[in-house]
Amino acid sequence: MKEYVLNEPLTGSFLKFLENFGTVRFLEQLRKPYFSFEKEQFISIKGFVGESNVEVRYKKEFQDLVGDYFHLLLYYYDHGERGIPALKGQEDSIRKKMKIRLGPLPENGS
Amino acid sequence: MNPSPQDAQPPFIYLNNAATTWPKPAGVLEEVACCLRQPLYEPGRTTGNGSMDYPSAAREALADFFHAGPPEHVVFTQNATDSLNLLVHGFLKKNGRLFHAITTELEHNSVLRPLTALEQDGAIRLSVVPFTDACVELAAIKKAICDDTRLVVMTHGSNVLGSVQDIRPVAEYLHANDIFFIVDGAQTSGHIPVDLSDIPVGAFVFTGHKALFGIPGIGGFFIAEPDAVAIIKQGGTGTDSRVLAHPHEMPVRFEAGTPNYPGIASLYAGIRFITSTGQEAIEKKNAGLTRSFIRGLKGMEGITIYNETPDLPVVSFDIAGIDNHEAGFILARAYNVITRTGLHCAPLVHERIDGGKGCIRASFSYFNSLDECRRAADAVREVAESANPEISSD
Repeated sequence: MKEYVLNEPLTGSFLKFLENFGTVRFLEQLRKPYFSFEKEQFISIKGFVGESNVEVRYKKEFQDLVGDYFHLLLYYYDHGERGIPALKGQEDSIRKKMKIRLGPLPENGS
Repeated sequence: MNPSPQDAQPPFIYLNNAATTWPKPAGVLEEVACCLRQPLYEPGRTTGNGSMDYPSAAREALADFFHAGPPEHVVFTQNATDSLNLLVHGFLKKNGRLFHAITTELEHNSVLRPLTALEQDGAIRLSVVPFTDACVELAAIKKAICDDTRLVVMTHGSNVLGSVQDIRPVAEYLHANDIFFIVDGAQTSGHIPVDLSDIPVGAFVFTGHKALFGIPGIGGFFIAEPDAVAIIKQGGTGTDSRVLAHPHEMPVRFEAGTPNYPGIASLYAGIRFITSTGQEAIEKKNAGLTRSFIRGLKGMEGITIYNETPDLPVVSFDIAGIDNHEAGFILARAYNVITRTGLHCAPLVHERIDGGKGCIRASFSYFNSLDECRRAADAVREVAESANPEISSD
């Protein structure tokens, strides 16, 4: 598990971006609006909209393959709409490596 | 003056006292500082003439506190886990042959793991007795006893369900049948009166850093008949250094190496705090805090409380629609309510109560307030409502 401090607070539009890649849960009626992002075999992220701290957990068995995935999310978010297919392409490449290591995996986590 | 943790961040509500108590009484911190301000003193380990022999003083205090004697039969270890390992492995070594042991589904891994290791090594056969309504009764233990049962290890208080086990009839039966009985009192010591003069245990284990208000790194056990357990740790004792065989006299028989003097000092001061405040007063306050918290959650759809009448200030619960780790994260980060989540080192309890998923545990101490309990319960309800919009606490 790692805790990251981002340059800027998390926004709702970042959550919208995340929805392209996995399951986003948003509980906005709490004292702080909470979100979680889950991408099977890859990563889970927890944090609060409006805050800069996030907790990131990588799947242990693939940590060496997915260890940069959170940074990829941030990088391609900055690219807007163009970032989505680019990151999906990166995911495919990671999945191929997972497949080589372990054999067939479930379909993508969206 | 160093700032307290509360100065550096928004005030938090600490409800993880079953793991370790916080804060500690001021007298405990002062005693630890006092202990460290002077050269450490224990006869045989220094020529200095210190003002306080903490190990002797703490042994007397603990023997008095648990109504157990003589004080030399109170042994210091690092913690309850250390105590349980010494006792379980020492009992095996003393017996030297395969035997049957019994434990329960309520146990902490400090009991389960040493016993499981011995079972996997083929050194013992192990039976695990189930609980009913958060308790393990004598009848269930009796049912599990075989001709070659030599050892029973049982918790006095569950760290998940908060239930206190009636160990007296179990102790009496096992004592009459020459079965060594180790009681894990990690969760009960300091919360409820323990009178070992009335309960014929083989050994009673305690830890310093929970309701006895000491610092982590100190614990111990009382043992009635030291010869029941072999020595498995040898080393320096400060006496008879010429003799290479580890001494058999108590308490050094089970203590090797330099003691944790600050830890012992903290335990001494913690006992003093409990005695001067009154065990009954502490128990009464804790019961009130627990009731207040449960009242705040009870009846709300979407919240499952696993034991609504705990004997100890421990409340384990789940919120529908949200993973317990997630709920704990939200309570801590959004509401500054610190709890513990997961399996609490007690996997078998969770297999029974929540299918092994784990749960959220709130645990209270004398230093919590009713206002904190109410605010914590309010926070849990908000999380439950947010995770399940169809329910309302109104």
